[in-house]
Amino acid sequence: MSFQRRTFLKLLPAAGFLAACSKSSSKIRLALNWKPDPEFGGFYAADFAKHGLDVELLPGGSGTPTVQMIGAGSAEFGIIQADELLLARARGNDVVALYAAFQNCPTAIMAHASRKLETIADLLKSGTLALESGLPFARMLKKKYGFDSVKIVPSPGGDLTTFLNDENFAQQCFLTAEPLQAKRKGVEVKVFPVSDIGYNPYTTVLAVSGELLRKNPELAKNMVTAVREGWRAYLDNPASANQKMHGLNPSMELASFAEIAEAQKPLLETSLLGKMTTERWSTLAAQLLELGDIPKAPPAAECFREL
Amino acid sequence: MRKILGRVVPAAIPLVVFMVGMEWLVRVGWIKAFLVPPPSAVFNTLLRDWRELFTALAKTSAGALAGFALSATGGIAIGVFLSSSRAIQRAFYPYAVFFQTVPIIAVAPLLVIWFGYGMRTVVASAFIVSIFPVIANTLSGLLSTDPALRDLFRLYGASNSATLWKLRFPAALPQILTGLRIAGGLAVIGAIVGEFIGGQGLGSVVDVARTQQRTDKVFAAVLLASALGLALFGFINLLSRVLLRRWHASEQD
Repeated sequence: MSFQRRTFLKLLPAAGFLAACSKSSSKIRLALNWKPDPEFGGFYAADFAKHGLDVELLPGGSGTPTVQMIGAGSAEFGIIQADELLLARARGNDVVALYAAFQNCPTAIMAHASRKLETIADLLKSGTLALESGLPFARMLKKKYGFDSVKIVPSPGGDLTTFLNDENFAQQCFLTAEPLQAKRKGVEVKVFPVSDIGYNPYTTVLAVSGELLRKNPELAKNMVTAVREGWRAYLDNPASANQKMHGLNPSMELASFAEIAEAQKPLLETSLLGKMTTERWSTLAAQLLELGDIPKAPPAAECFREL
Repeated sequence: MRKILGRVVPAAIPLVVFMVGMEWLVRVGWIKAFLVPPPSAVFNTLLRDWRELFTALAKTSAGALAGFALSATGGIAIGVFLSSSRAIQRAFYPYAVFFQTVPIIAVAPLLVIWFGYGMRTVVASAFIVSIFPVIANTLSGLLSTDPALRDLFRLYGASNSATLWKLRFPAALPQILTGLRIAGGLAVIGAIVGEFIGGQGLGSVVDVARTQQRTDKVFAAVLLASALGLALFGFINLLSRVLLRRWHASEQD
């Protein structure tokens, strides 16, 4: 192990030199699908220069179409969710996953704890639920339990105004974000991860276009290495990257950064750190096929590449 | 017949050229279909999902029309009120400008709390974004009455209200109608934005189709929304023709 690491360290400058020779003068763009927050900690912690890469992180917002950006070439790399990638491939957009930061999907539904709900099925028996109804998990819920006795409304994004004001209002959330915010406002919540119903796509996935991967596999490899090291560093010590992200996104308090970085650790599953399996991709493809989102399931091996 | 053809053909040529060009660019692969769908795909979606799309269009139309009706009546009334004195203008006009600058997305969660999910939020959103041009145009129309005619009314001892309804208001009509034309398009936009948060109609269709990366369906919905805007525009033009035909230069052939 230590031998490997040492060899690796020795090879690094060489790799950097080679990358510099090929065509590193141009900036590499990495499109994020949200504002700088701990969800992207590993990318902000990554030392890209060490791997001969000049990477610019492009913060996004609600609905930033990162998959389309990768396909259109307006960003070399992008952050996507596994189900988006399968939809994109089905529509002829050749995008390939390289590194899955969140091994477990952080999407969840939160409700007021005072309602004493036991399961997602209970939650769908009354009240209002705010969902992005276009998302596969929403339709899976509908198929499984039906939406006859719950009122479905559009998701307010990260906004909690209605939730805090209405006890019978439940909403889609990020396991590591809104529930902490609600607690800070004095509301006890019960959180149901969507992985409970068996839907668990890789999330915050680093992806690239198939074309770029074929043309410049070395660049993709360096990128993945830098990202993997970045996440390792962020998991060990998030402080400096948090500081950096807080500077870019000052509306989020520094304390929240630290809190979320800690809360998300179990979802990143440090032993697998970014690795993906054929099995998980096949399961997801089969689920989307059953929902009628994609006309046929693509071979799992096409969807991701281990570098 | 010939007259109608003479009007339709010039307007149709750019459309046909554009559609054929788009279709060709996508077919030869210069534009990727997942970014901009070929017109044929949009047309197919319109045919296949027509029931869903037209139900949504009906909802959006209802929301946009109600919002437009409110801002037309409210805007004209406020414009008349503001024109009554300088002091009133100074006191209230800045607040009217406020409506112009409300970033609707930012207040959206509040709209939902005040008006609930559904139609009322949509109408409120359409109203907020479309009232300002009506106020501004009504006011400027009422303030630009020909001074000579005003003097004439004063000379004959006409009352304030007679001057308003017999002279200033009719003279302001062309500008008021321009305000309404602008408001019509804005009301459609406002309704769709309201639907993003209020959850119904074309806004909801666009929202869902976007998360599913169905650009063809997004474009189909957008096409219907612009058809609605166009219809509203046509209606106001018709109104304008009826009201102004006999005396204003802009509506005489």
